[in-house]
Amino acid sequence: MRRIFIRTLAVLISTTFFAVAQTDSTEDFSQYDQLDFAEAGLKRYASPKILDLSPQKLISLGYDFQGAYTLTEGLLRSGAGNAILPEPQEATRFNYSHGVRFFANIPIVSKSSVVWQGGVNYLEHHYQAEAKDGRIGLAGLETGNTLASKGLKSIGLHTTLYKPLNEKQFLLFQVAADLNGDFSWNEIPEPAQLRYSAVAIWGKRPHDRLQWGVGLSRTYRVGEMNYIPVVMYNWTMPNRKWGTEILFPARAHIRRTFSPRSLAMAGFELEGQSYQLRSLPNDLPSGTTAHLRRGEIRLRLIWERQIKQFIWFSAQVGYRLNYRFNVDAIDQGREFYRGFFGDQLYLQTNQLGNTPYAQFTINLVSP
Amino acid sequence: MNMKSLLLLVLGISLSLTAFSQNKADAVVGVWETGNGKARVKIDKEGQKYVGRIVWLREPNDPTTGTPKVDKNNDEESLRARPLKGLRILQDFVYDEADAEWEDGTIYDAENGKTYKCVMTMKDANALNIRGYIGIPTFGRTDVWKRLQMPKK
Repeated sequence: MRRIFIRTLAVLISTTFFAVAQTDSTEDFSQYDQLDFAEAGLKRYASPKILDLSPQKLISLGYDFQGAYTLTEGLLRSGAGNAILPEPQEATRFNYSHGVRFFANIPIVSKSSVVWQGGVNYLEHHYQAEAKDGRIGLAGLETGNTLASKGLKSIGLHTTLYKPLNEKQFLLFQVAADLNGDFSWNEIPEPAQLRYSAVAIWGKRPHDRLQWGVGLSRTYRVGEMNYIPVVMYNWTMPNRKWGTEILFPARAHIRRTFSPRSLAMAGFELEGQSYQLRSLPNDLPSGTTAHLRRGEIRLRLIWERQIKQFIWFSAQVGYRLNYRFNVDAIDQGREFYRGFFGDQLYLQTNQLGNTPYAQFTINLVSP
Repeated sequence: MNMKSLLLLVLGISLSLTAFSQNKADAVVGVWETGNGKARVKIDKEGQKYVGRIVWLREPNDPTTGTPKVDKNNDEESLRARPLKGLRILQDFVYDEADAEWEDGTIYDAENGKTYKCVMTMKDANALNIRGYIGIPTFGRTDVWKRLQMPKK
Protein backbone atom coordinates (compact mmCIF):
# COMPACT_ATOMS: atom_id res chain seq x y z
CA MET A 1 0.00 0.00 0.00
CA ARG A 2 2.80 2.28 0.98
CA ARG A 3 4.69 1.48 -2.24
CA ILE A 4 1.62 2.28 -4.34
CA PHE A 5 1.26 5.60 -2.54
CA ILE A 6 4.91 6.53 -3.22
CA ARG A 7 4.60 5.60 -6.89
CA THR A 8 1.38 7.59 -7.24
CA LEU A 9 3.05 10.57 -5.61
CA ALA A 10 6.05 10.28 -7.95
CA VAL A 11 3.77 10.18 -10.99
CA LEU A 12 1.82 13.21 -9.72
CA ILE A 13 5.02 15.20 -9.11
CA SER A 14 6.52 14.37 -12.51
CA THR A 15 3.21 15.10 -14.28
CA THR A 16 2.98 18.46 -12.54
CA PHE A 17 6.59 19.25 -13.50
CA PHE A 18 5.97 18.22 -17.08
CA ALA A 19 2.88 20.40 -17.20
CA VAL A 20 4.88 23.38 -15.91
CA ALA A 21 7.62 22.78 -18.51
CA GLN A 22 5.03 22.81 -21.24
CA THR A 23 3.54 26.16 -20.25
CA ASP A 24 6.36 28.10 -21.93
CA SER A 25 4.32 28.91 -25.00
CA THR A 26 1.53 30.50 -22.96
CA GLU A 27 3.88 32.51 -20.78
CA ASP A 28 3.39 36.24 -20.59
CA PHE A 29 6.62 37.41 -22.21
CA SER A 30 5.79 41.08 -21.68
CA GLN A 31 7.15 40.75 -18.13
CA TYR A 32 10.64 40.67 -19.67
CA ASP A 33 10.23 43.95 -21.57
CA GLN A 34 11.00 46.33 -18.74
CA LEU A 35 14.08 44.86 -17.13
CA ASP A 36 17.22 46.76 -16.13
CA PHE A 37 20.81 45.66 -16.07
CA ALA A 38 21.70 44.40 -12.60
CA GLU A 39 24.91 46.38 -12.88
CA ALA A 40 24.84 49.88 -14.32
CA GLY A 41 27.29 51.09 -16.94
CA LEU A 42 27.76 47.81 -18.75
CA LYS A 43 29.08 48.18 -22.26
CA ARG A 44 28.00 46.49 -25.47
CA TYR A 45 30.37 45.79 -28.33
CA ALA A 46 30.06 45.59 -32.08
CA SER A 47 30.11 41.98 -33.21
CA PRO A 48 32.84 41.08 -35.74
CA LYS A 49 30.22 39.49 -37.98
CA ILE A 50 27.12 40.53 -39.84
CA LEU A 51 24.20 38.34 -40.83
CA ASP A 52 24.86 35.79 -43.57
CA LEU A 53 28.52 36.61 -44.06
CA SER A 54 30.29 33.63 -45.61
CA PRO A 55 31.63 31.43 -42.81
CA GLN A 56 35.02 32.33 -41.44
CA LYS A 57 37.51 29.53 -42.02
CA LEU A 58 39.48 28.30 -39.01
CA ILE A 59 41.31 25.57 -40.90
CA SER A 60 41.36 25.19 -44.65
CA LEU A 61 42.99 22.59 -46.87
CA GLY A 62 42.78 23.05 -50.60
CA TYR A 63 44.07 22.40 -54.08
CA ASP A 64 44.61 25.00 -56.78
CA PHE A 65 44.92 24.22 -60.49
CA GLN A 66 45.68 26.55 -63.40
CA GLY A 67 45.35 25.63 -67.07
CA ALA A 68 47.95 26.06 -69.81
CA TYR A 69 49.72 29.36 -70.36
CA THR A 70 52.98 30.81 -71.67
CA LEU A 71 55.78 32.67 -69.94
CA THR A 72 57.63 35.03 -72.26
CA GLU A 73 60.83 36.20 -70.62
CA GLY A 74 62.73 39.38 -71.18
CA LEU A 75 66.52 39.71 -70.98
CA LEU A 76 67.92 38.93 -67.57
CA ARG A 77 70.12 41.92 -66.76
CA SER A 78 72.95 42.41 -64.37
CA GLY A 79 72.79 45.03 -61.67
CA ALA A 80 74.43 47.43 -64.15
CA GLY A 81 71.65 46.92 -66.66
CA ASN A 82 73.69 44.75 -69.07
CA ALA A 83 72.24 41.51 -70.38
CA ILE A 84 73.81 38.47 -68.71
CA LEU A 85 71.71 35.91 -70.54
CA PRO A 86 70.84 35.83 -74.24
CA GLU A 87 67.49 36.82 -75.64
CA PRO A 88 65.19 33.78 -75.27
CA GLN A 89 64.46 32.14 -78.58
CA GLU A 90 61.13 30.75 -77.46
CA ALA A 91 58.81 31.18 -74.55
CA THR A 92 58.21 28.52 -71.92
CA ARG A 93 54.89 26.79 -72.29
CA PHE A 94 53.40 25.49 -69.06
CA ASN A 95 50.85 22.72 -69.59
CA TYR A 96 49.44 23.44 -66.18
CA SER A 97 50.47 24.55 -62.73
CA HIS A 98 49.03 23.43 -59.45
CA GLY A 99 49.60 23.08 -55.72
CA VAL A 100 48.13 22.49 -52.29
CA ARG A 101 47.19 25.23 -49.86
CA PHE A 102 46.81 25.07 -46.12
CA PHE A 103 45.53 27.82 -43.90
CA ALA A 104 44.84 27.91 -40.17
CA ASN A 105 43.44 30.85 -38.24
CA ILE A 106 42.87 29.83 -34.63
CA PRO A 107 41.19 31.99 -31.99
CA ILE A 108 43.59 32.89 -29.19
CA VAL A 109 41.24 35.24 -27.40
CA SER A 110 37.65 35.33 -28.52
CA LYS A 111 35.18 37.32 -26.50
CA SER A 112 32.80 40.23 -26.95
CA SER A 113 35.36 42.91 -26.10
CA VAL A 114 38.25 41.59 -28.21
CA VAL A 115 38.97 38.87 -30.75
CA TRP A 116 42.56 37.86 -31.36
CA GLN A 117 43.44 35.14 -33.80
CA GLY A 118 46.69 33.68 -35.02
CA GLY A 119 47.66 31.09 -37.55
CA VAL A 120 49.88 29.67 -40.21
CA ASN A 121 49.63 29.38 -43.95
CA TYR A 122 51.36 27.19 -46.46
CA LEU A 123 51.07 27.43 -50.21
CA GLU A 124 52.94 25.67 -52.97
CA HIS A 125 52.79 25.97 -56.71
CA HIS A 126 54.34 23.50 -59.15
CA TYR A 127 54.82 24.30 -62.82
CA GLN A 128 54.54 21.55 -65.43
CA ALA A 129 56.51 22.78 -68.46
CA GLU A 130 56.24 21.42 -71.97
CA ALA A 131 59.46 19.53 -72.79
CA LYS A 132 61.28 20.26 -76.07
CA ASP A 133 63.65 17.53 -77.32
CA GLY A 134 63.93 16.19 -73.80
CA ARG A 135 64.74 19.60 -72.34
CA ILE A 136 62.37 21.82 -70.46
CA GLY A 137 63.64 25.16 -71.68
CA LEU A 138 66.29 26.82 -73.77
CA ALA A 139 69.13 29.06 -72.69
CA GLY A 140 67.70 32.39 -71.64
CA LEU A 141 64.48 30.86 -70.35
CA GLU A 142 65.93 30.75 -66.88
CA THR A 143 62.91 31.89 -64.90
CA GLY A 144 60.77 29.29 -66.67
CA ASN A 145 63.39 26.61 -65.97
CA THR A 146 63.65 27.63 -62.35
CA LEU A 147 59.88 27.47 -61.87
CA ALA A 148 59.61 24.13 -63.68
CA SER A 149 62.35 22.52 -61.65
CA LYS A 150 61.80 24.06 -58.24
CA GLY A 151 58.28 25.49 -58.08
CA LEU A 152 57.28 28.13 -55.56
CA LYS A 153 56.45 27.87 -51.88
CA SER A 154 55.13 30.21 -49.21
CA ILE A 155 55.12 29.61 -45.49
CA GLY A 156 53.94 32.24 -43.11
CA LEU A 157 52.47 33.34 -39.83
CA HIS A 158 49.64 35.79 -39.44
CA THR A 159 47.60 37.36 -36.70
CA THR A 160 44.37 39.33 -36.58
CA LEU A 161 43.09 41.60 -33.84
CA TYR A 162 39.49 42.81 -33.81
CA LYS A 163 38.82 45.44 -31.19
CA PRO A 164 35.29 46.85 -30.88
CA LEU A 165 35.33 50.35 -29.45
CA ASN A 166 31.62 50.35 -28.61
CA GLU A 167 28.37 48.96 -30.01
CA LYS A 168 28.94 50.57 -33.43
CA GLN A 169 32.65 51.14 -34.06
CA PHE A 170 35.61 48.82 -34.31
CA LEU A 171 39.27 48.58 -35.19
CA LEU A 172 40.78 45.73 -37.18
CA PHE A 173 44.49 44.94 -37.47
CA GLN A 174 46.17 42.18 -39.43
CA VAL A 175 49.89 41.42 -39.65
CA ALA A 176 51.54 38.63 -41.65
CA ALA A 177 55.12 37.51 -42.16
CA ASP A 178 55.89 35.16 -45.06
CA LEU A 179 58.89 33.36 -46.49
CA ASN A 180 58.40 32.85 -50.21
CA GLY A 181 60.62 31.36 -52.84
CA ASP A 182 61.90 28.41 -54.84
CA PHE A 183 63.26 26.74 -51.73
CA SER A 184 62.95 23.16 -50.54
CA TRP A 185 62.38 22.15 -46.93
CA ASN A 186 66.11 21.74 -46.20
CA GLU A 187 66.99 25.21 -47.48
CA ILE A 188 64.39 27.50 -45.96
CA PRO A 189 65.40 31.15 -46.47
CA GLU A 190 66.95 33.21 -43.71
CA PRO A 191 64.70 35.55 -41.67
CA ALA A 192 65.98 38.55 -43.66
CA GLN A 193 63.87 37.24 -46.55
CA LEU A 194 60.64 37.54 -44.56
CA ARG A 195 58.06 39.71 -46.32
CA TYR A 196 55.74 41.61 -44.00
CA SER A 197 52.18 42.62 -44.77
CA ALA A 198 49.79 44.56 -42.57
CA VAL A 199 46.44 46.27 -42.63
CA ALA A 200 44.72 48.62 -40.20
CA ILE A 201 41.03 49.47 -40.52
CA TRP A 202 38.64 51.67 -38.62
CA GLY A 203 35.06 50.68 -39.19
CA LYS A 204 31.43 50.99 -38.25
CA ARG A 205 28.72 48.40 -37.83
CA PRO A 206 25.48 50.41 -37.97
CA HIS A 207 23.28 47.30 -37.80
CA ASP A 208 23.30 43.52 -38.14
CA ARG A 209 23.47 43.66 -41.93
CA LEU A 210 26.17 46.22 -42.55
CA GLN A 211 29.80 46.60 -41.64
CA TRP A 212 32.07 49.07 -43.37
CA GLY A 213 35.50 50.50 -42.80
CA VAL A 214 38.45 52.35 -44.24
CA GLY A 215 42.13 51.87 -43.67
CA LEU A 216 45.61 51.42 -45.04
CA SER A 217 47.53 48.32 -46.03
CA ARG A 218 51.11 47.34 -46.68
CA THR A 219 50.67 44.58 -49.17
CA TYR A 220 52.39 42.26 -51.64
CA ARG A 221 49.17 41.34 -53.39
CA VAL A 222 50.32 43.13 -56.51
CA GLY A 223 53.63 41.28 -56.44
CA GLU A 224 55.82 43.92 -54.92
CA MET A 225 55.52 45.88 -51.71
CA ASN A 226 53.01 48.69 -51.89
CA TYR A 227 50.98 50.92 -49.59
CA ILE A 228 47.34 50.97 -50.61
CA PRO A 229 44.18 52.41 -49.02
CA VAL A 230 41.56 49.76 -48.29
CA VAL A 231 37.79 49.89 -48.10
CA MET A 232 35.70 47.28 -46.34
CA TYR A 233 32.03 46.93 -47.15
CA ASN A 234 30.17 43.84 -45.95
CA TRP A 235 26.46 44.15 -46.45
CA THR A 236 23.39 41.94 -46.53
CA MET A 237 20.10 43.04 -48.07
CA PRO A 238 16.96 43.05 -45.88
CA ASN A 239 15.64 39.97 -47.71
CA ARG A 240 18.90 38.22 -46.72
CA LYS A 241 19.35 36.75 -50.18
CA TRP A 242 21.95 39.09 -51.60
CA GLY A 243 24.92 40.93 -50.18
CA THR A 244 28.48 42.05 -50.68
CA GLU A 245 31.79 40.99 -49.16
CA ILE A 246 34.36 43.60 -50.05
CA LEU A 247 37.84 44.35 -48.81
CA PHE A 248 38.92 46.45 -51.76
CA PRO A 249 41.33 46.18 -53.50
CA ALA A 250 42.27 42.75 -52.09
CA ARG A 251 38.91 41.20 -52.94
CA ALA A 252 35.36 42.13 -53.81
CA HIS A 253 32.38 39.80 -54.18
CA ILE A 254 28.64 39.85 -54.59
CA ARG A 255 27.11 37.15 -52.42
CA ARG A 256 23.95 35.12 -52.99
CA THR A 257 22.73 33.20 -49.96
CA PHE A 258 20.64 30.15 -50.77
CA SER A 259 20.27 28.97 -47.17
CA PRO A 260 22.31 29.09 -43.96
CA ARG A 261 24.13 26.07 -45.40
CA SER A 262 24.82 27.19 -48.93
CA LEU A 263 25.96 30.34 -50.75
CA ALA A 264 27.65 31.55 -53.91
CA MET A 265 29.82 34.56 -54.68
CA ALA A 266 31.05 36.29 -57.81
CA GLY A 267 33.91 38.75 -57.94
CA PHE A 268 37.67 38.92 -57.86
CA GLU A 269 40.67 38.54 -55.61
CA LEU A 270 44.17 39.95 -55.96
CA GLU A 271 46.77 37.36 -55.13
CA GLY A 272 50.50 37.76 -55.09
CA GLN A 273 53.79 37.71 -53.27
CA SER A 274 57.48 38.39 -53.71
CA TYR A 275 59.43 35.13 -54.11
CA GLN A 276 63.15 34.78 -53.64
CA LEU A 277 64.57 32.83 -56.64
CA ARG A 278 67.83 31.32 -55.44
CA SER A 279 68.14 29.04 -58.44
CA LEU A 280 67.94 31.81 -61.00
CA PRO A 281 71.37 32.29 -62.62
CA ASN A 282 72.66 35.83 -62.12
CA ASP A 283 75.79 37.82 -61.49
CA LEU A 284 74.34 39.82 -58.64
CA PRO A 285 76.70 40.81 -55.81
CA SER A 286 76.84 38.54 -52.78
CA GLY A 287 73.83 39.18 -50.53
CA THR A 288 71.71 40.50 -53.38
CA THR A 289 69.02 38.09 -54.48
CA ALA A 290 66.52 37.86 -57.29
CA HIS A 291 62.85 38.17 -56.34
CA LEU A 292 59.96 37.20 -58.57
CA ARG A 293 57.16 39.73 -58.17
CA ARG A 294 54.07 37.65 -58.81
CA GLY A 295 50.73 39.45 -58.80
CA GLU A 296 47.53 38.19 -60.36
CA ILE A 297 43.83 38.99 -60.52
CA ARG A 298 41.48 36.09 -60.10
CA LEU A 299 38.04 36.68 -61.58
CA ARG A 300 35.94 33.98 -60.01
CA LEU A 301 32.74 32.26 -59.03
CA ILE A 302 32.67 30.61 -55.63
CA TRP A 303 30.24 28.07 -54.30
CA GLU A 304 30.32 27.11 -50.63
CA ARG A 305 28.26 24.45 -48.93
CA GLN A 306 28.04 22.89 -45.52
CA ILE A 307 28.93 19.21 -45.61
CA LYS A 308 28.27 18.46 -41.97
CA GLN A 309 27.89 20.87 -39.07
CA PHE A 310 31.10 22.93 -39.16
CA ILE A 311 32.75 21.30 -42.15
CA TRP A 312 32.25 23.27 -45.35
CA PHE A 313 33.27 22.60 -48.92
CA SER A 314 34.26 25.45 -51.20
CA ALA A 315 34.75 25.33 -54.96
CA GLN A 316 35.84 28.22 -57.13
CA VAL A 317 36.37 28.51 -60.85
CA GLY A 318 37.52 31.51 -62.78
CA TYR A 319 40.08 33.19 -64.95
CA ARG A 320 43.53 34.12 -63.76
CA LEU A 321 44.79 37.39 -65.24
CA ASN A 322 48.45 38.22 -64.90
CA TYR A 323 49.17 41.56 -63.29
CA ARG A 324 52.93 41.28 -62.82
CA PHE A 325 55.54 38.54 -63.19
CA ASN A 326 58.80 40.49 -63.19
CA VAL A 327 62.05 39.91 -61.34
CA ASP A 328 63.75 42.43 -59.05
CA ALA A 329 67.18 42.47 -57.41
CA ILE A 330 66.94 42.92 -53.65
CA ASP A 331 69.97 43.78 -51.58
CA GLN A 332 70.37 41.96 -48.24
CA GLY A 333 66.66 41.17 -48.22
CA ARG A 334 65.87 44.86 -47.75
CA GLU A 335 62.65 45.74 -49.51
CA PHE A 336 62.31 48.92 -51.55
CA TYR A 337 59.25 50.91 -52.52
CA ARG A 338 58.43 51.35 -56.18
CA GLY A 339 54.71 51.99 -55.82
CA PHE A 340 52.65 52.65 -58.92
CA PHE A 341 54.88 55.42 -60.25
CA GLY A 342 58.46 54.42 -59.34
CA ASP A 343 61.00 54.14 -62.17
CA GLN A 344 63.39 51.56 -60.72
CA LEU A 345 64.45 49.04 -63.40
CA TYR A 346 63.43 45.41 -63.08
CA LEU A 347 66.12 42.75 -63.33
CA GLN A 348 63.84 41.02 -65.79
CA THR A 349 60.53 42.04 -67.34
CA ASN A 350 58.26 39.13 -68.27
CA GLN A 351 54.90 38.49 -69.81
CA LEU A 352 52.69 35.74 -68.49
CA GLY A 353 49.66 34.42 -70.34
CA ASN A 354 46.24 34.29 -68.71
CA THR A 355 44.38 31.06 -68.04
CA PRO A 356 41.32 29.45 -66.46
CA TYR A 357 41.77 28.08 -62.97
CA ALA A 358 39.91 26.10 -60.30
CA GLN A 359 40.33 25.70 -56.58
CA PHE A 360 38.73 23.33 -54.07
CA THR A 361 38.97 23.52 -50.30
CA ILE A 362 37.64 21.67 -47.27
CA ASN A 363 37.18 23.98 -44.31
CA LEU A 364 36.49 23.92 -40.63
CA VAL A 365 34.47 27.06 -40.04
CA SER A 366 34.06 29.29 -37.02
CA PRO A 367 31.01 29.23 -34.70
CA MET B 1 30.71 15.26 22.82
CA ASN B 2 28.77 12.06 22.49
CA MET B 3 28.27 10.10 19.27
CA LYS B 4 24.82 11.57 18.64
CA SER B 5 26.09 15.14 18.83
CA LEU B 6 29.00 14.30 16.56
CA LEU B 7 26.70 12.82 13.96
CA LEU B 8 24.46 15.87 14.13
CA LEU B 9 27.47 18.14 13.69
CA VAL B 10 28.72 16.21 10.67
CA LEU B 11 25.23 16.21 9.19
CA GLY B 12 24.92 19.94 9.81
CA ILE B 13 28.26 20.71 8.19
CA SER B 14 27.56 18.55 5.16
CA LEU B 15 24.11 20.11 4.73
CA SER B 16 25.64 23.60 4.96
CA LEU B 17 28.29 22.69 2.38
CA THR B 18 25.64 21.23 0.09
CA ALA B 19 23.53 24.37 0.44
CA PHE B 20 26.58 26.57 -0.21
CA SER B 21 27.48 24.55 -3.27
CA GLN B 22 23.86 24.67 -4.44
CA ASN B 23 23.82 28.44 -4.06
CA LYS B 24 26.90 28.73 -6.28
CA ALA B 25 25.40 26.35 -8.83
CA ASP B 26 22.10 28.27 -8.89
CA ALA B 27 23.84 31.62 -9.34
CA VAL B 28 23.34 31.20 -13.09
CA VAL B 29 19.56 31.14 -12.73
CA GLY B 30 17.93 34.35 -13.88
CA VAL B 31 17.32 36.49 -16.96
CA TRP B 32 20.31 37.48 -19.09
CA GLU B 33 20.79 39.71 -22.09
CA THR B 34 23.06 38.46 -24.87
CA GLY B 35 26.21 40.39 -25.76
CA ASN B 36 24.68 41.96 -28.87
CA GLY B 37 21.52 42.97 -26.96
CA LYS B 38 19.27 41.19 -29.44
CA ALA B 39 17.78 38.64 -27.08
CA ARG B 40 17.09 37.91 -23.43
CA VAL B 41 17.41 34.40 -22.14
CA LYS B 42 15.93 32.99 -18.96
CA ILE B 43 18.03 30.30 -17.34
CA ASP B 44 16.24 27.85 -15.08
CA LYS B 45 17.08 24.69 -13.27
CA GLU B 46 15.36 21.47 -14.26
CA GLY B 47 16.28 18.60 -11.99
CA GLN B 48 20.05 18.77 -11.72
CA LYS B 49 20.49 20.47 -15.09
CA TYR B 50 20.32 24.05 -16.24
CA VAL B 51 18.45 25.16 -19.33
CA GLY B 52 17.73 28.50 -20.97
CA ARG B 53 15.07 29.82 -23.30
CA ILE B 54 14.54 33.03 -25.23
CA VAL B 55 12.00 35.26 -23.47
CA TRP B 56 12.53 38.54 -25.32
CA LEU B 57 13.68 39.70 -28.74
CA ARG B 58 14.70 43.22 -29.67
CA GLU B 59 13.07 42.61 -33.05
CA PRO B 60 10.30 40.11 -32.29
CA ASN B 61 8.85 40.15 -35.80
CA ASP B 62 10.36 39.01 -39.07
CA PRO B 63 10.89 42.23 -41.12
CA THR B 64 9.91 40.50 -44.36
CA THR B 65 6.67 38.91 -43.16
CA GLY B 66 5.74 41.11 -40.18
CA THR B 67 4.86 38.00 -38.20
CA PRO B 68 6.58 36.74 -35.02
CA LYS B 69 10.00 35.26 -35.74
CA VAL B 70 10.21 31.51 -36.03
CA ASP B 71 13.07 29.02 -36.08
CA LYS B 72 13.30 29.16 -39.88
CA ASN B 73 16.99 28.28 -40.11
CA ASN B 74 16.65 24.95 -38.33
CA ASP B 75 18.12 21.96 -40.13
CA GLU B 76 14.95 20.01 -39.45
CA GLU B 77 12.16 21.28 -41.61
CA SER B 78 9.50 20.14 -39.11
CA LEU B 79 10.93 22.53 -36.49
CA ARG B 80 11.09 25.65 -38.63
CA ALA B 81 7.64 26.89 -37.63
CA ARG B 82 8.26 26.96 -33.88
CA PRO B 83 8.35 30.49 -32.40
CA LEU B 84 11.70 31.89 -31.30
CA LYS B 85 10.11 33.34 -28.19
CA GLY B 86 10.06 30.53 -25.69
CA LEU B 87 12.58 28.50 -27.67
CA ARG B 88 15.01 26.56 -25.52
CA ILE B 89 18.51 27.37 -26.70
CA LEU B 90 20.56 26.22 -23.68
CA GLN B 91 20.37 22.59 -22.66
CA ASP B 92 21.90 19.97 -20.40
CA PHE B 93 24.27 22.11 -18.37
CA VAL B 94 25.57 20.61 -15.15
CA TYR B 95 27.55 22.51 -12.58
CA ASP B 96 31.15 21.43 -11.98
CA GLU B 97 32.10 22.77 -8.59
CA ALA B 98 35.83 22.09 -9.03
CA ASP B 99 36.03 24.23 -12.16
CA ALA B 100 33.23 26.58 -11.11
CA GLU B 101 31.60 26.22 -14.50
CA TRP B 102 28.43 24.88 -16.06
CA GLU B 103 29.52 22.33 -18.62
CA ASP B 104 28.42 19.49 -20.92
CA GLY B 105 25.71 21.73 -22.35
CA THR B 106 24.82 22.97 -25.79
CA ILE B 107 23.74 26.31 -27.21
CA TYR B 108 21.57 26.70 -30.27
CA ASP B 109 22.14 29.71 -32.54
CA ALA B 110 18.82 30.40 -34.21
CA GLU B 111 20.45 32.82 -36.68
CA ASN B 112 22.18 29.98 -38.48
CA GLY B 113 20.43 26.89 -37.15
CA LYS B 114 23.60 25.48 -35.64
CA THR B 115 24.07 23.86 -32.24
CA TYR B 116 27.41 24.24 -30.49
CA LYS B 117 28.93 22.65 -27.44
CA CYS B 118 28.94 25.22 -24.70
CA VAL B 119 30.44 26.00 -21.33
CA MET B 120 29.32 28.83 -19.01
CA THR B 121 31.36 30.58 -16.34
CA MET B 122 30.42 33.51 -14.13
CA LYS B 123 32.72 36.42 -14.83
CA ASP B 124 31.17 38.08 -11.81
CA ALA B 125 27.73 38.03 -10.20
CA ASN B 126 26.19 39.95 -13.10
CA ALA B 127 28.20 38.80 -16.11
CA LEU B 128 28.13 35.35 -17.65
CA ASN B 129 30.75 34.09 -20.10
CA ILE B 130 29.09 31.82 -22.64
CA ARG B 131 31.59 29.97 -24.83
CA GLY B 132 30.23 28.10 -27.80
CA TYR B 133 32.73 25.85 -29.52
CA ILE B 134 33.34 23.08 -32.00
CA GLY B 135 34.96 19.93 -30.66
CA ILE B 136 37.34 21.57 -28.20
CA PRO B 137 36.95 24.99 -26.54
CA THR B 138 39.90 26.35 -28.57
CA PHE B 139 37.67 26.50 -31.64
CA GLY B 140 35.09 28.77 -30.13
CA ARG B 141 33.88 32.22 -29.26
CA THR B 142 32.91 33.71 -25.93
CA ASP B 143 29.94 35.99 -25.58
CA VAL B 144 29.39 37.93 -22.38
CA TRP B 145 25.79 38.02 -21.18
CA LYS B 146 24.58 40.62 -18.69
CA ARG B 147 22.21 39.88 -15.83
CA LEU B 148 18.85 41.64 -15.83
CA GLN B 149 16.57 42.40 -12.93
CA MET B 150 13.26 44.06 -12.23
CA PRO B 151 13.53 47.87 -12.34
CA LYS B 152 14.28 49.54 -9.02
CA LYS B 153 11.40 51.71 -7.90
